[in-house]
Amino acid sequence: MTVVLDRISKSFGAMTVLHELSLSVQAGEFMVLLGPSGCGKTTALRMIAGLETVTSGRIEIDGRDVTEVAPKNRDIAMVFQSYALYPHMTVAENIAYPLVIRRTGRSDIDRQVRDVAAQVQLDSYLDRYPRQLSGGQRQRVALARAIIRRPAVFLMDEPLSNLDAKLRGHMRAELKHMQHALGITTIYVTHDQVEAMTLAHRVAVLNKGRPQQIDTPRQIYEDPANLFVAGFIGSPPMNFVDGDLMDGLFQSVGGRLPTSVRSSHGKVVLGFRPEDCRIAAPDEAGSLRGSIYSIELIGDHVLVTCRVGGQSITIKVEKNFSADIGAEIGIAVAAERTYLFEAESGQRLR
Amino acid sequence: MSSWRHFIESRRFGELAPIPKAICYALLALWSTIVLFPLYWVFVTSFKEPVDVAYPPKFLPFIDFQPSLHAWRYIFVDLGNDTFRPYANSLIVASVSTLLAVLIGSMAAYALSRIEYKPKLGSVISFILLLAAAIIAVVYWQVDWRLAVVVAVVIFLLLLRALGRHFKRHLGNGDILFWIISQRILPPVVAAIPIYVMFQHVGLLDTHAALIITYTTINLPIVVWLMFDFFAAIPRDLEESAQLDGASRYRIFLGIVLPLAKPGLIAASLLVLILAWNEYLLALFLSTARAQTIPLLVAAQNATRGPQWWYMSVLIIIMIAPVLALTIFLQKYIAKGLLLGAVKG
Repeated sequence: MTVVLDRISKSFGAMTVLHELSLSVQAGEFMVLLGPSGCGKTTALRMIAGLETVTSGRIEIDGRDVTEVAPKNRDIAMVFQSYALYPHMTVAENIAYPLVIRRTGRSDIDRQVRDVAAQVQLDSYLDRYPRQLSGGQRQRVALARAIIRRPAVFLMDEPLSNLDAKLRGHMRAELKHMQHALGITTIYVTHDQVEAMTLAHRVAVLNKGRPQQIDTPRQIYEDPANLFVAGFIGSPPMNFVDGDLMDGLFQSVGGRLPTSVRSSHGKVVLGFRPEDCRIAAPDEAGSLRGSIYSIELIGDHVLVTCRVGGQSITIKVEKNFSADIGAEIGIAVAAERTYLFEAESGQRLR
Repeated sequence: MSSWRHFIESRRFGELAPIPKAICYALLALWSTIVLFPLYWVFVTSFKEPVDVAYPPKFLPFIDFQPSLHAWRYIFVDLGNDTFRPYANSLIVASVSTLLAVLIGSMAAYALSRIEYKPKLGSVISFILLLAAAIIAVVYWQVDWRLAVVVAVVIFLLLLRALGRHFKRHLGNGDILFWIISQRILPPVVAAIPIYVMFQHVGLLDTHAALIITYTTINLPIVVWLMFDFFAAIPRDLEESAQLDGASRYRIFLGIVLPLAKPGLIAASLLVLILAWNEYLLALFLSTARAQTIPLLVAAQNATRGPQWWYMSVLIIIMIAPVLALTIFLQKYIAKGLLLGAVKG
């Protein structure tokens, strides 16, 4: 089942929260809407669900125009951030609810509930109430309730945000496997870029109501379209240094670096990832000069934070690295591993 | 030196030290006595002979005085039906009006908590003006009321059509809520005479219907007031989820919202029931013989010979007994934590 968003916008009075988002989700695809709080991703999801009206634009599900169709007739199932479990019903009753509304036969309901509960490993919890379950279990009840309907599209609004880190990792894998096994088109909203990178077939990055880049996780990581996307994806985030570009050479307070962009430009921002740079001698040619600010042992690697001309640079080094705080060092990065962005607009220079 | 401090300062945050604790319990005991003593007095007085009721007061049965069942016998056997009818009237009027008030009031509160109403100020004002004009026409110029209503409605619709675009300012849910609640700020007794005349005109004086309608109307604002907060506290997510699953608004209201608002419904029902059960003044105006309620019967014991405390005590006991029992029974349903497990934990 495909989902097509055709320049959908949403305004609340004079305030526009979503500007002309166009998106085309293929059948069976896992599409993630990624962005910081307030970027309009949840609004977009709710518009697809029909819980918010569309100010302008069209939404199509499987070729059918559903812009004005009531939520219950769109054949979608949604998992809410708060799970939205009915506290006065047991797990079995919660899962069965969609079928009860559709007046499915009693024996049919029982069989389907048991099947779905087994799929999410909840078979021994069917008689419990939501308040007697842990966070992960409640989330699985919400998932089961969405699965049982066999909808055309799954919508998920930050379903993992209320779980602790370890459980989140586990449930991420479960979700990915489940979506692959069921093959249902899924649109997933999150602010966590790790979730986006690991779960998505494609990611739509949003900021302040505007789409920034819609691409595969690998492309977004390796070929960001602008400053925002480059800085949002990647942990630790990309390093940025302000400066000028003169004939392919980046010049800044911290030093000069050759780049892969053969042109001149006024104010630019140079970006490079922590794992793409290395520590060099302080006066090595083609490197930035700075001093060590802090050293953090992560476990399998060390993160060294440096101050270069008033800006912070993070470098990923091997785990046995040691040095003095305040020591002068050089930071070298290969020209083809650098990214250049216009300082004003944030657009990528190629 | 520091040993006396143990008696005044507590060791842990949630605990009281011995002396403050003793003071607390002493005050609570004193207040409990003040509250419960009248109940004890009424109970004991119902077993007293008339001579025992006079000064000096007698507190303890079998010790100060000999208990007797004469008052009970009089109320239940001699008066029999005269006691039973007001009791039945109270039961019927209070329960039916409570049911109606809670049903209608909770639906109004739910609508106000979920739907955004924007009545235009211009429409509201024209409606009021036309209504006033119609009433004046009927009362002063003897226009037939049916004609007046039809003409007023037609003018209202034409006015809306012609000037509707110019009505810019509108009211909101908060204004509607306040308007509903403000109707209870006015003491119902102020409208007692108009209500009397109204029921007299339609021939409903001294009937159950009159009391039920009146009590429902005056208690409706209280239900809306109480239930609005309860409904507003129920997360919208639950209803949206049900909406996506295909449930209609009524199904969501009856199957999901009402069960979750049970503590509020029970609290509101209890409050309205007690108000309707104890109501004296309007019942006095609107009923004479057939629809007399219990509070009137109790007050009627104030006979020409002076207050007959022994009979009054029996009536008071049977009057408060059902409400007391209901409160104790329903107390466990006003349970906290009903919403645990629905949202995030």
